[in-house]
Amino acid sequence: MTGRRADDLIRFTCKAMNCLIILFLLTPIAVTTLMAFDARDYLGPLPPPALSLRWFSAFFSDSYFLNGLITSVKLACLSVTISLFAGVATAYAVDRARFRGKEALVSFFLSPLVVPPVVTGFALLLFLSKIGVIDGFARLLCGHIIITVPYTIRATLASISGIDKSYTEAALILGANERHAFWDITLPLARTGIVSGAIFAFAVSMDDVAVSIMLTDAKTYTLPIALISSMRANFNLSIAAASVMLMAMTILLIVLLEKLVGLNRAIGQGTFR
Amino acid sequence: MQTSNEAVLTFDNVAKSFGGVHAVAGLSFSAVAGETLAILGPSGCGKTTTLRLIAGFEEPDIGTIAIGRESMIGKRPYERNVGLLFQHYALFPHMSVRENVAYGLKYRKWPKAEISSRVDEMLRLVQLEDFGGRRPQQLSGGQQQRVALARVLATKPKLVLLDEPLSALDAKLREELGAELKRILTEVGSTTIVVTHDQDEAMSLADRIIVMNRGGIDQQGSPSEIYSRPATRFVATFIGRSNWIGGTLKLNHSGGFANVVMESGTVLTTGNPGLGDEVAVKVGIRPERIAIVGTQEDDRMSGANQFPAMVVNAISMGAENHYHVICSAGTLMVVEPGGRGMSFSRGDRVKIGFRAEDCVLFPSRDAA
Ligand SMILES: Nc1ncnc2c1ncn2[C@@H]1O[C@H](COP(=O)(O)OP(=O)(O)OP(=O)(O)O)[C@@H](O)[C@H]1O
Ligand SMILES: [Mg+2]
Repeated sequence: MTGRRADDLIRFTCKAMNCLIILFLLTPIAVTTLMAFDARDYLGPLPPPALSLRWFSAFFSDSYFLNGLITSVKLACLSVTISLFAGVATAYAVDRARFRGKEALVSFFLSPLVVPPVVTGFALLLFLSKIGVIDGFARLLCGHIIITVPYTIRATLASISGIDKSYTEAALILGANERHAFWDITLPLARTGIVSGAIFAFAVSMDDVAVSIMLTDAKTYTLPIALISSMRANFNLSIAAASVMLMAMTILLIVLLEKLVGLNRAIGQGTFR
Repeated sequence: MQTSNEAVLTFDNVAKSFGGVHAVAGLSFSAVAGETLAILGPSGCGKTTTLRLIAGFEEPDIGTIAIGRESMIGKRPYERNVGLLFQHYALFPHMSVRENVAYGLKYRKWPKAEISSRVDEMLRLVQLEDFGGRRPQQLSGGQQQRVALARVLATKPKLVLLDEPLSALDAKLREELGAELKRILTEVGSTTIVVTHDQDEAMSLADRIIVMNRGGIDQQGSPSEIYSRPATRFVATFIGRSNWIGGTLKLNHSGGFANVVMESGTVLTTGNPGLGDEVAVKVGIRPERIAIVGTQEDDRMSGANQFPAMVVNAISMGAENHYHVICSAGTLMVVEPGGRGMSFSRGDRVKIGFRAEDCVLFPSRDAA
């Protein structure tokens, strides 16, 4: 029965490991959340004696943070919209075309991102200065399109190429032209893929630091950048409050995605490596 | 029902290849109004390609395709007024049964009220009146096929194409829906082309059959013609079962008969195939055209070729009895109607016989 005991031991160790890792991942988040509701105006020992929403109201009365938040949301909405169009158009074209090297192009689009965001940001900074784009928002928009478009292309390509060609052919032989078939058949059948791509792209844009930090100027900056620089300047717990709100947004998006496609499926397709 | 002999579809010397593979090579045939034409052939002979050429999903490399008197070269699928029943139906999964059936009418700019009544009419035709609100995934395979058929017929296409219409169904349903399909097609009076590798499907649906082999046509004719007078050895082997006996042809100029002498010296009397004297041939004979009787019943035996034989294998298949017998012409398969038990069992001494007219002859060098 020693084999059996060894099995039990291994199983126990695995469980313990599991708990430890979860603890390791969750503790900082829990501490941050707790601190965001701390009523004291200095960093005192945990747990806080009283809770309040003061850091949240401090966040919303700080024009520096608010400015960052507004820029981030505008940037995310605009860049996701643009890369959604670009992604759907690219995926549709690639899926339909027959040319040499198509396989290579598809796996290039579907492969994990290989260029580090810092490199993308720096390269873009140099390039945009060279061609004379100095407006902060325009620069950020370029950067965010670059980091979000792979997500929309991948999600759309995976779902469009998964659609049986005979659906489109059935529409054509029934009398619909190619445009009708695209609107009636391709788009609705690829919808879940397109939406989940957009949600991921939105989260990526809201979260980005590496590319944005290269392209920010004094007047135009995103929320993550605002948080980082204010942390250096004068640390206070509005940053914890902002983190809690960003986290809430992420959870909301995940729930939305789960509702729409099932998160496991979206990740399992290998779309979001 | 249209009865004129006007050609609805004409293929003239059509060829199509994919990167060196000749999928269709010099195909010429036509389909006349109101008939159901089956294109029958083994896997890879170019049936689907033929269908896709008609539908406009592929363009021929050479040759012309006409529907009515109008050339289809360069026409997009939606400009052809052709209906296609896909092998796996291709019902739009995000639309209801009604929306599926109405889809083609929407782009033919029918008024709403007429679309609605046409959809009702079609669902009645396929006996699915109560299923209009369902999604295709909520239907059985047979029901899905009927919806797909309703969708095809709703637009009154000039030509209906069916791609292996019964192959996705199980055996029982296949027979039932085959009859149903035939009824509906006859009722509508449409000109139909069925593409299939399944001879039962072709025989049961078609008025006329084209047997395709390697991108070309081996024979066209009625189902019974193709079965009893195969034009090539390929057709004879592909359609139904045959016993093949090898020998040398000896022409004999009295009457329409000839003799085939086998290596063993046994002589068969056959029809005269129009081949030269002393040609090496294969003689084909259908198992159900061979009579089998007990040795003492000589008088019941008919036909020019009679051999004493021994049963080596006896199998009851229910509706048919299968025997393998050994005789001086080799080992032959014999089929007789079953249902009343087996007449013979293994080891029985019997007599077999077949008529000269039931033999088909092809040169041995012809590929099977
Ligand atoms: N799109 C294509 N690209 C390359 N080769 C093709 C293409 N379509 C068909 N072929 C080739 O053409 C030949 C005929 O194909 P086709 O699909 O017409 O056969 P089929 O008679 O329908 O066979 P099956 O009964 O297996 O469906 C085959 O050798 C096939 O490999
Ligand atoms: Mg095929």
